[in-house]
Amino acid sequence: MIEQGIPTQLQAQLEPKKLSEDIERAKATLLKSIKRSVYVYRVDCGGCNACEIEIFSSITPVFDVERFGIKVVPTPRHADILVYTGAVTRAMRLPAMRAYEAAPDPKIIVSYGACGCTGGIFHDNYCVWGGTDKLFPVDVYIPGCPPTPAQTVYGFAMALGMLDQKQHAVNETEAEGERASLKFERIPYRLRVELEREARRLSGYRQGGDMCDAFLAALDNSETDAMKEVASLLAAQKDPRKVEVLTELKNLLESRIVGG
Amino acid sequence: MLKTLKGILKTGDATVRYPFAPIEQAPDVRGKPEHDAPNCIACAACAVACPPNAIQMKVDVHAGTVTWTINYGRCIFCGRCEEVCPVDAIRLGSEFELAVMSKADLQDSCTYRLQRCSDCGEYFASRKEVEYVAAVLDRIGGNGASGDSIDRCLLCKQKNDALACKDRIRERRQA
Repeated sequence: MIEQGIPTQLQAQLEPKKLSEDIERAKATLLKSIKRSVYVYRVDCGGCNACEIEIFSSITPVFDVERFGIKVVPTPRHADILVYTGAVTRAMRLPAMRAYEAAPDPKIIVSYGACGCTGGIFHDNYCVWGGTDKLFPVDVYIPGCPPTPAQTVYGFAMALGMLDQKQHAVNETEAEGERASLKFERIPYRLRVELEREARRLSGYRQGGDMCDAFLAALDNSETDAMKEVASLLAAQKDPRKVEVLTELKNLLESRIVGG
Repeated sequence: MLKTLKGILKTGDATVRYPFAPIEQAPDVRGKPEHDAPNCIACAACAVACPPNAIQMKVDVHAGTVTWTINYGRCIFCGRCEEVCPVDAIRLGSEFELAVMSKADLQDSCTYRLQRCSDCGEYFASRKEVEYVAAVLDRIGGNGASGDSIDRCLLCKQKNDALACKDRIRERRQA
């Protein structure tokens, strides 16, 4: 919806590099049965350096990708795998191409991070090409902003054929007569909104929302005495911060009770 | 030498077993945004909030559908979609193994049907959203309860209001 408005003729369209057939075949063999250590060369094409930090934390002893023989080398001439990070700025296109040409065939190209995969948050910026695959064929995409060391290890393990791909495209359609459920039907809607706002104000949408859900579930499940359920929820809480937020919610609820 | 070996034994192994064993993760880690398709009302709040436009909505007026798409390759895992979702239909889960060999696998989608305006017959919102709003208004009760104008588009609603206003003025003049 948003991208339809950008006139494509104002953006230069790149012709991505094509691989010849025998290189393609050699690469398939390399991907399938690599019997030795792989050397990785890292190309930063205008990233924010978070990806680099994560790459370096994945070669620390904690994640230790050298277990799999993966080694970071300082020149593309020694590399089997080229890791491209960053959204590929205009200025970095030629250096990226030079690194690509300098690496011997067959080589595996990895797009690293959200920017490398699609351009990420900079995808519609005027000065970026928006992703490594605009320049040359990419073999493995590792999304994440930045990818954690575990994601990196998984991506490399997948590139080397040790693990299978888990993420596959899912295209769903709405079922006939499908309805979105109203949560906590027994609680007055306005009270629910008020409690949720207070919980989010106190501790954010994630933890606040979760605590509010627990609070509302206790109210919703109670058969006779709602306040007793709330008191037992409070008593079961060990974390003093959660107790604080739930007490605030309880006070708010008490202030909204009319009659007696 | 013995001292060094002792030190090594005492320190133990710092390396995690991953990928040969599951990795230990923090409870609120920001992983893959999980979309709960049956509970989604296709209101596009997430698409508006998404900073890198990883979530997009595409309307097809010929087929009468709206398609929600998410591109995990563009997602920055900020959780804004989870924050703005009115029905909690999207939540950042703990799944992190998102690397793919082909770019097409990074995109998930879900298609919803649109609702026609009862007056002019144009599509104006997703069917599930209209139903959800009607249900909420019914719960609140009072003047806003779902009744006459819930299945009208914005233009027809405005037209209807203007006509009602005109009638009221005429009645007042006659009285």
